[in-house]
Amino acid sequence: MEIMRLVVTGPVGAGKSTFIRSVSEIEVVDTDRRATDEVADMKHKTTVALDFGRLQFGPQHALHLYGTPGQARFDFMWDILIRRAHAYILLVAAHRPHEFRYARRMLMFMEQRTQVPLLLGMTHCDLPGAWAEDNLMLALGYVPGRPRPPVMVVNANDRTSVAQAIIALVQHSMAQQGSFIP
Amino acid sequence: MALNLEKLSSVLQNFVSGTADVQGAALVTPDGLPLTSTLPSGMDEERVSAMSAAMLSLGERIGSELARGSIDRIFVEGDKGYGILTSCTEDAVFLVLADKAAKQGVLMLEIKRSLAELKLLLA
Repeated sequence: MEIMRLVVTGPVGAGKSTFIRSVSEIEVVDTDRRATDEVADMKHKTTVALDFGRLQFGPQHALHLYGTPGQARFDFMWDILIRRAHAYILLVAAHRPHEFRYARRMLMFMEQRTQVPLLLGMTHCDLPGAWAEDNLMLALGYVPGRPRPPVMVVNANDRTSVAQAIIALVQHSMAQQGSFIP
Repeated sequence: MALNLEKLSSVLQNFVSGTADVQGAALVTPDGLPLTSTLPSGMDEERVSAMSAAMLSLGERIGSELARGSIDRIFVEGDKGYGILTSCTEDAVFLVLADKAAKQGVLMLEIKRSLAELKLLLA
């Protein structure tokens, strides 16, 4: 059995926990606690350590999905999780432009620690004020000429959409590494 | 009623200064924000709080998922000392940092005593 560890990261409320819940075939191990910071205005609960889900991928392959907390005070969890990742997804809520700078900081944090393949997932694209892909990429620092990771619109509530994102990342990872396990 | 932070922090200070070999203590929210703390210099209150919350939540998850029941405490034993996490109320987590020289029995008793005081103040 080959296991691929996939990390799902991104700012608070991007849809990381929902993403994992949508595809995991085991009951997700979550560490949700009632939010008491500014997050409480957006949602009641927030991840304080990690989410863990699992997805069987053919008879010989399994995906382990790890979701990080969103707040920077938990960056030691980002560090622990990203160092062992085989690939990662950064989810960004496209309708909250004030968070793009923060997402960019998260990206830098990850890139300083790992070179594994990345996929950018744009969530909340159906909401008013959602940015278009090109503008969002620019806001994340992908100026023309700089190599861009693959980008996808993801609906974290929709199992099919999440599965497509995971397949895209696995394919991207295979293309980059030439094998399932990088 | 508003939280009496002054009293909470004086309970913490008394605990740290009054218990042999205790180096620091912190009271934090379950989602990892500081309420009050007395920590050794160089330790960042915000980081300590986030770590405490993450650790306790994972420990409690092990308790429920691996059928260990409700969790009294998480005990981290290093070669330089101890880190002990206890759930105080549903709104607070209590972290104690102690030197390796600390007597565990005394430590546990003192933690229990302080917890009772803290619970009254948080009620």
